[in-house]
Amino acid sequence: MSTIKSNALKQSARRHRALKDLGAWLIMLPGIALFAFFVWVPLAEAVRMSFYKTQGMRTTEFVGLYNYSYMMLKDPDFWPAVRNSFLYTGWSLVIGFLVPMALAMMIHETKRGKSLFRTAVYLPNMMPALATIFLWKYLFRADQTGYVNMLLGKLGIAPVSWLSNAQLVIPVIVVIMTWKGAGATTLIYLAGLQSISQEIYEAAIIDGAGIWSRIRHITLPQIYNLARTLFILQIIAVFQILYEPMVLTGGGPNNASVSLMQLVFRQAFELGDYAKASSVSVMVSVVLITMTLVYNQLSRKKEM
Amino acid sequence: MKKFLSLMLAALMLLSTASAMAATVTLGIYPVDTDSAAKENHDTYYIPAFKELYPDVELITSNYTYAVETFTALAESGKVPTIFETWYTEPQKLIRNGQVADITDALTELGWLDKINPSIRALLSDENGRVYGVPRDGYALGMMLNVEVFEDAGLVDENGIPLYPKTWDELIETGKIIKEKTGSAALCLLAQDNAGGWHFSNIAWTFGAQLEVQDENGKWLAQLNTPEVVAAMTMVQTLVREGLLTSDPTSENWGTGFAQLGTGAAAMYIAANDAVNQPTQNNGLAVDKLMMIGMPAGSARSYSLSGGTPYMFAANATQEEIMAALKYLEIMGRAPVLTEASKAGLRADAEYRVANGIPVLPAFPVWTDEAFNQAQADVVAEFSNVDDRMFENYFDAVSAEGGLKMEEPMETQQMYGELTKVLQEVVTNPEADVQALLDTANANLQTILDENVNK
Repeated sequence: MSTIKSNALKQSARRHRALKDLGAWLIMLPGIALFAFFVWVPLAEAVRMSFYKTQGMRTTEFVGLYNYSYMMLKDPDFWPAVRNSFLYTGWSLVIGFLVPMALAMMIHETKRGKSLFRTAVYLPNMMPALATIFLWKYLFRADQTGYVNMLLGKLGIAPVSWLSNAQLVIPVIVVIMTWKGAGATTLIYLAGLQSISQEIYEAAIIDGAGIWSRIRHITLPQIYNLARTLFILQIIAVFQILYEPMVLTGGGPNNASVSLMQLVFRQAFELGDYAKASSVSVMVSVVLITMTLVYNQLSRKKEM
Repeated sequence: MKKFLSLMLAALMLLSTASAMAATVTLGIYPVDTDSAAKENHDTYYIPAFKELYPDVELITSNYTYAVETFTALAESGKVPTIFETWYTEPQKLIRNGQVADITDALTELGWLDKINPSIRALLSDENGRVYGVPRDGYALGMMLNVEVFEDAGLVDENGIPLYPKTWDELIETGKIIKEKTGSAALCLLAQDNAGGWHFSNIAWTFGAQLEVQDENGKWLAQLNTPEVVAAMTMVQTLVREGLLTSDPTSENWGTGFAQLGTGAAAMYIAANDAVNQPTQNNGLAVDKLMMIGMPAGSARSYSLSGGTPYMFAANATQEEIMAALKYLEIMGRAPVLTEASKAGLRADAEYRVANGIPVLPAFPVWTDEAFNQAQADVVAEFSNVDDRMFENYFDAVSAEGGLKMEEPMETQQMYGELTKVLQEVVTNPEADVQALLDTANANLQTILDENVNK
């Protein structure tokens, strides 16, 4: 009798759980459908396409790894694009990694007008991306009509070809990206800073610690884990740079600023070779998945 | 009874014609919103005239500017307008990809098929001779001059005609005077995108270059590093070293070039007769201050790169839709048909040009129909708004024996891309090793030819 009763109880619990799960599944369904339609299916299709020859967007013939070998061994733009994608990432860490951290600390230390500065640093994020790029394109024009060159002219410095100088072009693009993107990261750092207990600072002040000492011994250790996470996220984001060089320089001069994602765009939309574009996308994905694994590893450590 | 039968037959024929013309046509050739004068031409003349003749055809106006970046996506989703414009380097790719409609039957029915200029027909046909488009017009590259800048530099003869350069060496010397007297750049050279390679290929021809050749086995060979191409690129390097170009050629494209010319920032710009509205209507240069000359000669002779704009049709368009779209071209005066409507269309276009300060120039014959070409020439003569001497050298150059050259045939856009990369290096680094850069470009183009053509 008791076995029957316990079985009935188990069944009822299962039904209850299934009903509870059903609700959860129903809530998730639209999200899952959208993800499947816009992300997972295209992703799987791109991987499949990379092993075929294509006519338009239709696959015609299975060619195995041919598209990969062509892009890596023969395509004249592939290796410059690989080199540049890493250069963008490297320069973004040199130029752009510390900027939001410093901004957040400055705003955090500000006593009056905090929300004004918070809004000000976030403002470039709210501007349409292409408008920002065109704005900077005018600022960095090569001749005396470029605003940056006008300012330099006042100091007696000759005009600089900012975007058509092979050595300068990537750092300049990274400066523009930093101006546009630093605000969002600054707000994340600010949230991190605000979660640090004021008591620690107060104790430090009583002990006679100055501002630099407080930053070094309290602020930096407290936001270390956050900075580590944002560091990885920045690498992943910048490695996929596309529209900034596409609009500012078209990848030039002579491939000096072409990126891997731009190569994908060029193969797919300018040359109509979706198979080769897919093969580069898959290679970019492999690099990014590797970076994400590193990121997850670090996040796990952070949680511990 | 006989009368009744013939009436019935006539009614039936009318009905069948009407049903054949019951279609919905999306006009991708409708002008952009910003071109209000051209839109007015369609709205007040072409569309009402078409509606009167073909009331059962629904016209949807939807400007589409052909772009390689968007076309495949549109074609795959079946959203290409029924009729659209592209350029002559594109038809073969579109035909190969099955992205445009075969219009041979419609052209045969209309009697237009054999009236297409044979060399243009070849560009619009597949290997079986089926035709996929009709020509809108042709163009030939030459050099546009801002007459005001030449006047300011004192480079005009006693009649006020600019003392224009006939060779690249003369252009350099003329350019130095312009630079010194006016501060304007002598030439706006493009190096931002493939248009740079497109213009440069014409410059290279004038030095005797041929950029692609086919060997005896039918294999296509890249020829981007021959002494002729090196000489042409070295001439560009001289322009850079002498400071005769606009400040940053890597930010100049087809459109900005016209702005530089129209506003006098540059005295000269490589451009074609079909774009005379760009410096004038779009950039404010008075119609009598524009001059066109033939392409300066290098160590060989003057050549003009010849191309043009074809109309093509969506792959999913029905025969009725294609026929209706072709009839719309007829109303616009863009078909080899002389009707009252098409004659009025030609006049409407010329009137629009005069009213908007655009030179009315003789057209390149894209149809072999003599009556149509004569009508076109008559309209130009009637509405001419330019001093013929300003365009004499240009038309002499393009009508000279062998003066026109069609674009290099294989992987043309990719070839332009490779040449543009070299140009970008040369214009940003005056000490660039031209031979080494062209060797790399040549190897790259050969790889592309081997991958896509030599199979």
